[in-house]
Amino acid sequence: MNTDAVLDLELDDLRRELDAIRAPDALEGALVAKFRESRAAAKPRLWWMPPLALAATIAIASWIVRGPVPGNEGLVSLAPHAIDSDPPFVALRPLDQIAKAGGARVVTTEFPRALLADWGLPVSPERAAEPVRAQMLYSANGEPLAVRLLD
Amino acid sequence: MAMPPENLQPELELVRRMKGGDESAFVHLYRRHRDAVFRLALMYSGSPATAADVTQDAFIHFIAHPAQYDATRGTLAAWLCGIARNLARKAAGWREDATDPADLADDTAPHESHVEHDTPLERVLRGEAAEHVRRAIASLAPHYRDVLILCELSELSYAEAAQVCGIDIGTVRSRLSRARERLAQRLAPYREGAKEAVT
Repeated sequence: MNTDAVLDLELDDLRRELDAIRAPDALEGALVAKFRESRAAAKPRLWWMPPLALAATIAIASWIVRGPVPGNEGLVSLAPHAIDSDPPFVALRPLDQIAKAGGARVVTTEFPRALLADWGLPVSPERAAEPVRAQMLYSANGEPLAVRLLD
Repeated sequence: MAMPPENLQPELELVRRMKGGDESAFVHLYRRHRDAVFRLALMYSGSPATAADVTQDAFIHFIAHPAQYDATRGTLAAWLCGIARNLARKAAGWREDATDPADLADDTAPHESHVEHDTPLERVLRGEAAEHVRRAIASLAPHYRDVLILCELSELSYAEAAQVCGIDIGTVRSRLSRARERLAQRLAPYREGAKEAVT
């Protein structure tokens, strides 16, 4: 018998021995517990949370902008169209960051509609090139904090 | 994208159900693959306790990251074996540099530093001859041991072994051939001893 055939027999012997080996029974219980744990952690999110969070964001941002900006009461008057019928501001930065922004000011401006996409706002491709009028809330260092479309 | 072979569909359905939170699907998959994973881990580690830990960790990985399994790239069995192989090598402190292609041209003998000398040698099999073969495999260089365990003992295809080891199929073939040569050399003294004992 050649060496290769002998080796095959030896490997067969090892395979037979291995075939008789089983994973410890205790593992299954531990793994099923892990599986349940992982499922509990991955429970479906409450469907109403995202819209509620969006509404709250808009409401708070709007309140922050309509109310006096701390230390910059005079600058708020830079928003000539800030009347109750105007649409609310949409926050472009986290609310705590907006709240902390000292020296914030509102500026009425006009820019290409396509720019809205950079802030994650919907833009119709047909109207992307059109200009849009908006009021911007800027921080003291010129960072846009919130935007309100005027048309 | 390539579709998985049709005979994988029942298993893929179980994976899909498991991802959706079906515990019975997970249990089914676990029972189907646990022994193969445990045996592979045992061959790599030489320790039943380590093999149990590796098996548990491999399935925990599956529970946590089921989306990492890509049916277009191979069977679930091969994927689990790959995870168990990596965990077992890590647990045993095997040197991964042994798979550096520059060091491992097929005709090059492994550098001395790639050959394990302190392999786990506690007895894990009842049969003396099988235990001797297991020890001989454990004493091979890691890149030879890899293909022997995966192709000869875990019965992965060459393609699956290639994917697990991160090498091409041709390299799997040539390494397997050399691994068998080396294994036969290591077993030769044992065979002689066995013959003498008979006569």
